[in-house]
Amino acid sequence: MATVEFKGKSFDVDEDGFITDYNQWNEEWVEYVKEQEGIDEMTDEHKLVIKVLQEYYEKNGIAPMVRVLSKLTKFKLKHIYELFPSGPGKGACKMAGLPKPTGCV
Amino acid sequence: MSEPASKIESQKEIKQIKDMGLDQGVARLTPEKIEKVVNEVLENETGARLKAYVESCVHCGLCSDACHYYVSRKDPIFSPAAKVKQTLWEILEKKGKVSPEFIRRAAEVAYTECNLCRRCAMYCPFGIDVAYMMLTMRRICHKLGVTPQYIQDTAHSHSATMNQMWVKEDEWVDTLFWQEEEAQEEIPGLRIPVEKEGADIMYSVIGPEPKFRAQLIYQAAVILNAAGADWTMPATPGWDNSDMAMYTGDNEMMARLKKEHFETATRLKVKRIVMGECGHAFRSVYDMGNRALGWKMPPVPVVHALEYYYELFRAGRIKVAKKFEKPVTLHDPCNVIRGRGLHEMTRYVVNKTCENFIEMTPNREHNYCCCAGGGVINCGPPFRDKRVVSNSVKADQISATTKKGVEVVIAPCHNCHGGLEDIIHHFGLGVELKFLGDIIYEVMEKPE
Repeated sequence: MATVEFKGKSFDVDEDGFITDYNQWNEEWVEYVKEQEGIDEMTDEHKLVIKVLQEYYEKNGIAPMVRVLSKLTKFKLKHIYELFPSGPGKGACKMAGLPKPTGCV
Repeated sequence: MSEPASKIESQKEIKQIKDMGLDQGVARLTPEKIEKVVNEVLENETGARLKAYVESCVHCGLCSDACHYYVSRKDPIFSPAAKVKQTLWEILEKKGKVSPEFIRRAAEVAYTECNLCRRCAMYCPFGIDVAYMMLTMRRICHKLGVTPQYIQDTAHSHSATMNQMWVKEDEWVDTLFWQEEEAQEEIPGLRIPVEKEGADIMYSVIGPEPKFRAQLIYQAAVILNAAGADWTMPATPGWDNSDMAMYTGDNEMMARLKKEHFETATRLKVKRIVMGECGHAFRSVYDMGNRALGWKMPPVPVVHALEYYYELFRAGRIKVAKKFEKPVTLHDPCNVIRGRGLHEMTRYVVNKTCENFIEMTPNREHNYCCCAGGGVINCGPPFRDKRVVSNSVKADQISATTKKGVEVVIAPCHNCHGGLEDIIHHFGLGVELKFLGDIIYEVMEKPE
């Protein structure tokens, strides 16, 4: 397990770069992942995706299907990929502090 | 008790990677339990095949240079023969009297240091199938309850939901309707026909497609519609053709999954199953799962996407509006190329759709593995760095094509995608990665 230091905060991350303790999530982490993912500017739309992922995760202990994410944000699939080019399972979940999804991803 | 073989084989001791599934599983073992399970598996589930493999190996080492782990790391511990030495040979020699520490290392070898790609089997003068031996080791580990946590979670999802990503039944159907709706904005009148009894084709996919990559279902629908195919997708479990239980060693669950899949096709009275661009799923329906159920060949003919695309282009059912311009190369996935021989069909489609196709070397059945397959990427983040650094040969292969101008790697397999994405990123190769379906969707003539 590695540690990421960013703007005075420290995060324990796994080898895929996901934080291993959801409680460590904070605004600095969002900023760190934004740079890692090459996202130019954080918009309210990015923030909405993060909020929806976290609410769903806190309730269900798993990342939602992209269909559910689309329903709750009103964003089309293409737009979700425009916001997070590496996809909902990698970029968005990582930014939201969720664990890396299991399966062929 | 035997020493862990890693200490015997290599001067450099391999660092043990922490994994909750492996560590907790091993903590529960006793030598008596190990001996009992090992001998149960060896006596009841193996036979002449294992014996022939074990007795015919002459330790010539030709398998070493066939293996991307060995070629990348140059450490004899990663030679296929050494992997067998660290697992089954020792177990057979000791008649199952091995220690929990031995099982810990053997599990890590079998699950995370071999992709079951069978390249070594092709170079072995006797055709010894090391993948079969690693699978036998995994079978023992499964029965001992020593499996990596991430892949075991996926196997649990299979047994609870009959798909690999905890997709619920209503969410599955909802996703199909949703992608139909989104696709209709581009192509009015497009349908994703659900539960159409008597259709020619049942189209099946793997869990990640509805879960995160629903655009692949969208694109397949556009291709099938344009081709005028008579097709359907089921509304019930059985839509997922993937099978991580096959890779954890849970053969009973593998058989249940394949039974569900084939029975769904039979219930829908389709003539054949066409499946998306996934390699391991193909292996599970065409080789391992069907055989576990007692069928030499699948009871409903199974056609992989690559073969189906070939069929469509050959018959002129898909027309190209404008070929893909960026220079491309092709990564041949083990299960459908070495395993099924679809390499020339795939090249036919690539040449039909792309202006400039540059081969990587080696290619076709000689291609090096992505190092993600065989369930290795499914073992998750703890083993990620190992699989990436153990495939520098793949990075060399790709960067040789970028020197010739390649900008896009076509990888027609989900696992290959995951693996190559990490390799491209880690080694800074600067190429894009696409499924063949992505290219077809982009260049095809679409109905008005």
